[in-house]
Amino acid sequence: MQTLAELSLLALLAYTLVGVAFGIAFVLRGVSVIDPAASTAGLGFKLTILPGCAALWPLLLVKWLRPKRSLRAGP
Amino acid sequence: MSVGYAAIQWSKPKRRYDLIVGLAIIAYIGTFMLVSKMLWTGASAISDEVLILRALGSCGFILLHIILCIGPLARFDPRWLPVLFNRRHLGVMTFFIALAHGVIAIGYYHGFGTINPLVSLLTSNTEFASVQAFPYQLLGVVALIVLFLLAATSHDFWNKNLSAATWKRLHMSVYGAYVLLVAHVALGALQNDRGLLGPIATVLGVCTVGVLHLLAAWRERNRDLSSPTSSVAGEEWIDVGTPAEIPDDRARTVCAPGGERIAIFKHNGRISAVTNVCAHQGGPLGEGAIIDGCITCPWHGWQYKPQDGCAPPPFQEKVATYRVRISAGRVQVNARALPPGTPTDPVSARSEAANV
Repeated sequence: MQTLAELSLLALLAYTLVGVAFGIAFVLRGVSVIDPAASTAGLGFKLTILPGCAALWPLLLVKWLRPKRSLRAGP
Repeated sequence: MSVGYAAIQWSKPKRRYDLIVGLAIIAYIGTFMLVSKMLWTGASAISDEVLILRALGSCGFILLHIILCIGPLARFDPRWLPVLFNRRHLGVMTFFIALAHGVIAIGYYHGFGTINPLVSLLTSNTEFASVQAFPYQLLGVVALIVLFLLAATSHDFWNKNLSAATWKRLHMSVYGAYVLLVAHVALGALQNDRGLLGPIATVLGVCTVGVLHLLAAWRERNRDLSSPTSSVAGEEWIDVGTPAEIPDDRARTVCAPGGERIAIFKHNGRISAVTNVCAHQGGPLGEGAIIDGCITCPWHGWQYKPQDGCAPPPFQEKVATYRVRISAGRVQVNARALPPGTPTDPVSARSEAANV
């Protein structure tokens, strides 16, 4: 039981560390890619969304890497 | 509503709201500590750590009840809308109070051994089959994780980028957190509580949340059922009533056969219809009013022009619109939603057809 608990916590720690590292990169670069309205936002906004970015990093990674559709594309 | 993002979109009412809530929290915790110290003296005295733990836990639990009750209360009485207006800040405060409760609890009950406190939390009690000895702390931990996710995604950035529907679904998990916390309290604090105040207050709280939600659902269901439809040439038209039954600068809401609610507004003698669901957090537009010529959501003040469902410039939000007509003196709305931002021709409430 203790080993399972330790392994679960290790996995959670790894997820969180990757999330925090990703979150910092995302708020610095990625956020303005997926949402241009965020490009002029200040440090306070970036710090506010950082915990969410660290928690939901797989979702944001997919959004960041997904090619953006051109807004000028015709019908 | 904003064209850019800020950390917190402060306004004077929001600052006042947060100040009042902050002071109320401090007053509650202070009073709880003081009264407990006066009540429990001598051999039955409770340590400061346990007192602060109980004060924070009960404070967070009460705040969660308030958060859950605001929505239905605002539907019955618009005087609750100012409390609803800043509910997200209340939610974030609740998370921080719950976090403080959790950190102190883990430190106090698991922090003095030789193994990692979190490992101790997960392994020290595995009596899952027992009611009396159930590891209720784990229920609190799961609820805390849910509250964290809700607080972390409370910014409008998440609403926009997760999509309003996904955001709404995610934030509905507050009910899951609430159930876990009721179980956490019932299997934990109430098991050790020899008084009646705790159990009575918990039962009253649960009943209040439940009854308010049931009443709100029942009221909405009754309103939905009273919307007769007629089908003409493959198009479904929903009866709204006479033009006079729609109050000026307000709306009547009806439900389309697919379940979508439609808000039909009257402004300057002209009638138009939009979806009842605000693009922001799904607020009930039909319970709002027309202010400065725009439909204004009662929850957070997001605005849309009644004729095309578009937010006034420079904002870019849009909601679906619906065609409206007057037939035999009665207002009818087409059941099919038009794409968000589609211009429509508002019909005159004083037209000849309206006077039939």
